[in-house]
Amino acid sequence: MRDTADTAVLRARGLRKEYGTGEGLVRAVDGVDLDVAAGETVAVMGPSGCGKSTLLHLLGGLDRPSSGEVWLGGRRIDQIGERALARVRRTDVGIVFQAFHLMDELTAVENVELPALLAGRSPSVARRQAASLLERVGLADRAGFLPSALSGGQRQRVAIARALSNEPLIVFADEPTGNLDSAATVDVLRLFDSLRVAGQTLVIVTHDARIAATADRLISMRDGAFVDETRLTGGSTGQLGALVGLEG
Amino acid sequence: MQQEVVLAMLAKEPSHGYQLRERLRQALGPLGDAMNAGHVYVTLTRLERAGLVAAEPPTAARERPDRKTYGLTPAGQQRVAEWLAEVSWPKPDLAEFHLKLIAAAAAGLADPLTIVDTQRRELLRRLRDAQRAAMAEPDGTDAALLLEGIVLRLQADLRWLEACEQSWTGRGSRS
Amino acid sequence: MGRVLLVGRLAVRNVRRRPAEAALLVLAIMAATTILTLGLALHGVTDDPYQRTREATAGADIVASVGPLEVAPGRAAPVDLAKLEALTDAPGVVDHGGPYPATTTQLEANGVRTEVWAVGRDSAAVSVDQPKLTQGSWVQDGGVVIEAAFANALDVGAGDQVTLNGRSFQVVGVAVTAAAPYTHVCFGHPVCSFFFGSVPAWVRQGPPAERPDGQTATVDVGPPPDDAGLVWLTRTDARGLAPAAALSYVMNLKLADPAAAPGFVDAHSPTSWDALFLASWLDIRETYGEFVQGAQRALVTFSSLLAVLAMASVAVLVGGRMADQTRRVGLLKAVGGTPGLVAVVLLAEYMVLAVLAATGGLTVGWLAAPLLSDPGAGLLGSAGAPSLTLSTVGVVTGVALGVAMVASFASAVRAARTSTVHALADSARRPRRTRWLIALSTRLPVPLLLGLRVIARRPRRVVLGAASIAVTVSGIVVVLAGRAAMASDWEGPSSLDPQADRANQVLLVITIVLVGLAAINAIVITWAAALDARHASALARALGATPGEVSAGLSAAQVLPAFAGAVLGVPAGLALWAALSNDEANPTYWQLLAVVAGTVLVVAALTTIPARIGARRPTAEILQAELP
Repeated sequence: MRDTADTAVLRARGLRKEYGTGEGLVRAVDGVDLDVAAGETVAVMGPSGCGKSTLLHLLGGLDRPSSGEVWLGGRRIDQIGERALARVRRTDVGIVFQAFHLMDELTAVENVELPALLAGRSPSVARRQAASLLERVGLADRAGFLPSALSGGQRQRVAIARALSNEPLIVFADEPTGNLDSAATVDVLRLFDSLRVAGQTLVIVTHDARIAATADRLISMRDGAFVDETRLTGGSTGQLGALVGLEG
Repeated sequence: MQQEVVLAMLAKEPSHGYQLRERLRQALGPLGDAMNAGHVYVTLTRLERAGLVAAEPPTAARERPDRKTYGLTPAGQQRVAEWLAEVSWPKPDLAEFHLKLIAAAAAGLADPLTIVDTQRRELLRRLRDAQRAAMAEPDGTDAALLLEGIVLRLQADLRWLEACEQSWTGRGSRS
Repeated sequence: MGRVLLVGRLAVRNVRRRPAEAALLVLAIMAATTILTLGLALHGVTDDPYQRTREATAGADIVASVGPLEVAPGRAAPVDLAKLEALTDAPGVVDHGGPYPATTTQLEANGVRTEVWAVGRDSAAVSVDQPKLTQGSWVQDGGVVIEAAFANALDVGAGDQVTLNGRSFQVVGVAVTAAAPYTHVCFGHPVCSFFFGSVPAWVRQGPPAERPDGQTATVDVGPPPDDAGLVWLTRTDARGLAPAAALSYVMNLKLADPAAAPGFVDAHSPTSWDALFLASWLDIRETYGEFVQGAQRALVTFSSLLAVLAMASVAVLVGGRMADQTRRVGLLKAVGGTPGLVAVVLLAEYMVLAVLAATGGLTVGWLAAPLLSDPGAGLLGSAGAPSLTLSTVGVVTGVALGVAMVASFASAVRAARTSTVHALADSARRPRRTRWLIALSTRLPVPLLLGLRVIARRPRRVVLGAASIAVTVSGIVVVLAGRAAMASDWEGPSSLDPQADRANQVLLVITIVLVGLAAINAIVITWAAALDARHASALARALGATPGEVSAGLSAAQVLPAFAGAVLGVPAGLALWAALSNDEANPTYWQLLAVVAGTVLVVAALTTIPARIGARRPTAEILQAELP
């Protein structure tokens, strides 16, 4: 089902999220329509405060919209109960945060196997799976480390491995490189790129143009609404030289 | 490419033209691919004519005669030293784009915001290429550092475009 | 399976991450469970030694007694011995001892005067109720044998001199008996006739010598004091202690079937006003139990108080911890934990600690129980380790879990129900800003200014601190009231009441536990405040406040609420006492004042240490560490 390119894994219609009332009413998300096809990488860009994080929370089942619909894998999730929503987050969605949000008291591998254990996998299966995910993010040798002993980039890679734990339909990332230095950003970008190549559906919310530039589709968001949508095509490494004045 | 770059690459030791090319390729990574193979030789010939480098004939008989070894002359040495002390920097030519927006808006020829959007897309494309190239490069190489510089410049340009967009959006709503 | 592992792992890791807090939690709950275990374990503790004593002394199945019946004020009818002797032929009786003459009289030993029952016995051993000597030899003319618990209370032994009704006797021995309880085996004393009714007014009147009719048959008709001791003398000596008309007689009967004793008592007890009184061995055993039951009741009562205090400590600690756990909660929910699972994870930690505390409490209580029951109330052998029944284990574990549950449930549910997004964004509870307190503080000296601002940051924590002090103080007030009540209940010299002695010990233990728990609370709260305020403190120091002022400020932030808590605790304690007991005995005012003043002083002293440690770390280091 996931290999069918045209299947919309994620679909949002007329999504709105409002805070406050009267004069203080804030429309954080104001009428968003979105379709994300299987295997697609979509970046949502915009200045801070444009509502992109709120949008991601709505899409990822972390928060409920004031109105509108969210469909995930063909199932509407904006109205289901808290327990059912938790199960959706557990099995259908993987989320990567700017602040990593790892459990400080759990080792890297224990953090990664957390969603699998929540989903009721047996401890041995969960552990095997977590170990292979850490391998995939290049941290097999750090499995037994506590987050405090890892660098920022390593922590974010652990968080990405955790997001992949239950083979989610879609991975959401909220400013995944916001707390990282340049080198760590490249590591994380490489990892996302390998996910993209492997056919993982990805929605990344960021104001970092570097991540946005690697997406299949780029959406600009302003004041809670989408204002522009681009597919970045064309261009080649041949032109790179021009950027540093190498030609001629 | 500046002649001084080729000149400075020779400062370490006298080298063949192909050795020079290899060194440049190492330092530039994927950017070096864009370089014309003959470019180095043309530059070397010019430098030789200017008396900054001197070609030594092949030392061994079995070497091909066109494989000349180039070394710096004292004048070349001095030129390299001067070049290292220079503080020249590529000038970002933003004035042109800036004036383009103003002219388009004044004459009502085009919406400045559309121009900004188009330009941003172009820059994003370049950024994507640079980023892909950077991701393909192993960590810690000279080329990776250069690519990072490109990426950071493009980011800076994109941020300026963002500022342009905000500014022109504001003007649009005021009028 | 995986989820169980996960819950367990998260609970254990979080405990390990903050071992000091976890230890404090366990200590707090353990204090309550230990006391509760003691109370429950002492239940039925005397059964075994009683049985042993009964066998060793050929204890009677029935103790029957007749006393002089007062027919008119100050005038007694002669004892009707025939009624007593008739019992020896009653069906089921296989053996008997006595009747022995008995009377109440004054005993003086080591400068202490007290009421005793003196029983005249044969110097030869008898087959029913022959007290077992633990010291010296059996009665002889001029030589008295004293019941063991009583001898212990009087601190006399073989070879000492005592005075009975003015006559000097030598203590020749100390013995235990299975028929000693002073009050309930009446030996035919008149008051026994009214055992089931109210005591008539004349019984309470003064000595007969004051009576207007001038009767001189000096019959002591006052009720026997609760704790009248028991001594044995020869028949001759016993008769010499009182006029013949004032003597009671007691007889010990052995039944073919000891189990039939209660039936025998029912069948032969007089239906009308009569001087004959019968008690079965079962009645007596129960009376022994009451010595321990007194202590047990005190323990169970106070364990509920300690449970309240433990709950307060747990709530302080849990409240602080839960705030830190907001982010954890958000995280668990973000990766797909259901609200239920999140609540379970949060509660599991406290359940683990509660089970630990229950185990600790059961162990300590079980080990300590013999210390409190050991005097054995004059029975043979030691009481031994009280039995730890399944129901005791169940109750104690239940209470521990309950305390942890009640204290943490609200926090856990609140945490589990917070919005995931908020929980994630709010990595820690932001300090509050209590405007009026800050405005007020600007007019005060520097330490108070800083202290008030610490309070203003976390008003809720301050309230919890004050509450925990209030609970402690009310506990201490209840203990004081309990002691005062005991002192007034007990009519004789309290040093002779083995029951009061033990209750005193128990109350002392409870007080120590209470105070210890409160001290731990005070330190925890100050430490938490010192950590919480360290950035503000460092800033204050960077702006020129001295470490001394900063630590004084932190102390002040605890002492002010402690004072409020102590003041509140006094009426709360008195109210609690009124709810727990029918007695009205209030502790004296100076005691209450001393409690309040002492609490404030102790809190001030306790908070100095963590406050000073907190205030002395280098400023730059703290400011640096706090950078985002």
